[in-house]
Amino acid sequence: MKVLAPFLLLLAALIATTYLDPPLPRADLVILERSDCFTLDPQRMSYQHEIRRGATIYEGLVALNPQDCSIKPGVAERWETSGDGLMWTFHLRHNAKWSNGDAVTSRDFLYAWRRATLPETAADYSGFFFEIEGAEEFFQWRVKELADFAARAKESSPTLADAQALWDATEQRFRDTVGIRAADDFTIEVRLRRPLPYFLDLCAFAPFSPVHRASVETWTHLDPASGRMEQSHGWTKPGFLVTNGPYVPTVWRYKRDMRLVKNPYYWDEARVHAKTIEVRVIENPNTQVLAFGAGGVDWVPDVGPEYKTEMLAQRRLYEARHAVAIGAARDRGAELDETIRVLPPPTDGERRDIRALNAYGTDFFSFNCRPTTTNGAVNPFADAAVRRAFAMAADKQALIDRVTRLGERVATTLVPPGSIRGYPLVEGLPFDTTRARAELATAGWIDRDNDGFVDDANGNRFPTVDLLYSTASPRYQNLALALRDMWRRELGVPVEVRGKDAKLYKEDVKKGNFSIARGGWYGDYGDPSTFLELQRSTDGNNDRGYKNPAFDAMLDAAQSEKDPAVRLEKLAECERFLFTEEVPLLPICSYVTVYMYDPSRLEGIRDHPRLEQHFDELKRVDAAASEGAR
Amino acid sequence: MTRMLLSRLIQLPFIVLAVYTVTFILAWMVPGNPLENPEGRRPPPEIVAAMQAQYHLDDPLAFYGEYLAKASGVAWLMGTSPHPFDLGPSLRQPDWSVNEIIETGAPVSMRLGISAMMIALAIGIFAGVVGGVRPGSIADVFTQLISIAGISLPSFVIGSALLLLFSVKLRLFPIGGVSGVESLFLPALTLSLPFAAYISRLVRFGMIEQMRSDHARTARAKGLSQRQVALHHALKNAFLPVLSYLGPATAAAMTGSFVVEKVFAVPGIGQHFVEAVLAKDITLVMGIVLVYSTLLVLFNLTVDVMYRWVDPRIA
Repeated sequence: MKVLAPFLLLLAALIATTYLDPPLPRADLVILERSDCFTLDPQRMSYQHEIRRGATIYEGLVALNPQDCSIKPGVAERWETSGDGLMWTFHLRHNAKWSNGDAVTSRDFLYAWRRATLPETAADYSGFFFEIEGAEEFFQWRVKELADFAARAKESSPTLADAQALWDATEQRFRDTVGIRAADDFTIEVRLRRPLPYFLDLCAFAPFSPVHRASVETWTHLDPASGRMEQSHGWTKPGFLVTNGPYVPTVWRYKRDMRLVKNPYYWDEARVHAKTIEVRVIENPNTQVLAFGAGGVDWVPDVGPEYKTEMLAQRRLYEARHAVAIGAARDRGAELDETIRVLPPPTDGERRDIRALNAYGTDFFSFNCRPTTTNGAVNPFADAAVRRAFAMAADKQALIDRVTRLGERVATTLVPPGSIRGYPLVEGLPFDTTRARAELATAGWIDRDNDGFVDDANGNRFPTVDLLYSTASPRYQNLALALRDMWRRELGVPVEVRGKDAKLYKEDVKKGNFSIARGGWYGDYGDPSTFLELQRSTDGNNDRGYKNPAFDAMLDAAQSEKDPAVRLEKLAECERFLFTEEVPLLPICSYVTVYMYDPSRLEGIRDHPRLEQHFDELKRVDAAASEGAR
Repeated sequence: MTRMLLSRLIQLPFIVLAVYTVTFILAWMVPGNPLENPEGRRPPPEIVAAMQAQYHLDDPLAFYGEYLAKASGVAWLMGTSPHPFDLGPSLRQPDWSVNEIIETGAPVSMRLGISAMMIALAIGIFAGVVGGVRPGSIADVFTQLISIAGISLPSFVIGSALLLLFSVKLRLFPIGGVSGVESLFLPALTLSLPFAAYISRLVRFGMIEQMRSDHARTARAKGLSQRQVALHHALKNAFLPVLSYLGPATAAAMTGSFVVEKVFAVPGIGQHFVEAVLAKDITLVMGIVLVYSTLLVLFNLTVDVMYRWVDPRIA
């Protein structure tokens, strides 16, 4: 009988661990994400799914309308701007409440925005706040003061009083020099350093959300050794977290799940559909699809496995069979989901529960525009003609048809077409191998010894192109290999691909250790500058080392234009210049995001390229009920 | 017994310290910077520098000492840290401390590991006894074949096959998450198979030996049936090697199998550990290693205690 002892011991342990981790009932809506949120601190949010969660639990001064990305009131019920576009005044609604019943006031916004401009918060988007007058100077001042404090600390050990004195000075300086002021509890005045036509779009962005000051401050303390305002993030945990959006998290388990419950104090509570939402994290893309197939999941916002291309083909079969009905509905202006919802269900070999949507981002390859390579050699890609040649020799449609296979749109520029209202369509360089070879020849690269490779005037062969990609996804490798073959064949240049682990790839890109490197960019706000500023000489994400004072001046001129329509036209001119003349990067295609959801069971998914899906607009419908309605 | 217990408990911190030191050196040698987002916007350089200083990432020796003091509870005893076993903040997950990550992940991994070990013991002992009593019989060959398959088939193959069959086709078990016993069954079964196979081989070998031994022959001579001899006399001794295997095996199963957790989307610490290594999240790596090595030592100790209880010849 002693043999049974280990069993009994294990059984006792099993009961104990089960007790530690009780199961939860099914939520009204179950969403499967591929990764967990890094943080629920809105000022530190950075990733797309995180920003989306931010918009679910917080509400900024204004909000985006997911259907067309127009601005709608949030905590502010109205606002006005001065004639020069520098002063903005927001009038807050009196019935906006935190999830603990406290009123949302202008001081919550002031506090949150000040956090974002403190270096110790380490907000990824602190740069966006620098558009507020004096904010960047304030940030730099604080950085310098902290450095001085640390230097002094090496000589004499500072006390808490010293740190407090510096903090008091910091608060004073923020009040005196940064252009944001609470005129009263429900009025905020913001002064910008330059007119910003898309300022409201920024105000709708999750990092501009307010935080509940009292609960955050419980978790901050001054560090006498460094003078820094140290913040621990205990306040973002359910139980402590106070939010002002439609939902409030009640459970958050690391890389496992988050449970959102309707915020009873939310002022527009009547509009919120699902009472509880479970966001489950399944990192394995294959398991994610299996879990959706097994039922019990309503929406997968980022479908990962490679075989999604085959699943999308099944969707195309379904749409093809109902092409007439879908076309007629589209002409009427109906949304695709509305049409599909009432069509007969898919038959064998078809499906309608997967959908590829155009996203607000562009897949590209960066050219290294620096004059020399990291080992000091002359960099042929410093010459724009060489870059143009490489760009025109790439058959993007072939890449989409044979490599990426998600039905993406070819991109010749950076701003995804149709994503920004009023922004004209800009055409970049076409696919034209004859012109490509001519460009290369004007740059002095001609095959002089008929060995199949181009040489310079001295007969030196074109240096081997170092094509860098990250091994994070086979997509990048396949794109790199296909491009290598195209360039070898069409231009006669030696190309070698170099795959690196995501982290090492990132380091190489940062150091400029590549000729051409895989890249990509998603826009943050609804203005072309979110893409175009990337090419500014001083931009922190200018991986290409592209420095052109003429372009910077063009961009400045466009940015300071008062008339919004003329401004967009000028920005389009900047983009045209970039992608017909300069070509610092080679756009491949607009990104698509693949969703899985059954349109007959889930309502509220929007197809605007910015993919602003708001959880509070999602509604699970009973399939039987909608069948009956038909 | 008390002396054994005491001396083993005194050894524990030294073993864990050795493991900590080796892991620390290895973790520090991983290239990359944990404060850098692989995707996403870059924080300004001042911020990165400030964070490096805050976490002592610019000074490995200071990091080594401070982390050890906090994790071991020494800092708490000295009054410099508010918590006794503070494994620090995760470097990659700003909102989580390593303690919180282990607290949410460990119960899941442990439940999975424990269930797997129970299944492994049941299957392993049954198959081992069936085969060991009549070596060479059809039942023996059959269980042997299964056990070879259990050891050699990788768990992502078995796991995916089980998922496809039971969850997607038959819809008997849910996928993903750990909502109840039913969601844990398939991953536990998958995780248990290699252990079950190993246990069955240990038991089978022990049974063959025991059934041929003198005391088994004596028991049979006294008129006991083959079944009684097998279950009451032979199994007890044949089980001893299983017991010594059980310590490290349970520790290994409980601290999570990366593959099984990935395939079944079980949010346990096995996954977290591998991801932490890839992201160079040093504090999280160190924390999980510390917990794992402590568990391993404690389980081995438990097994040794049980060993003495089952087999009084070992004093």
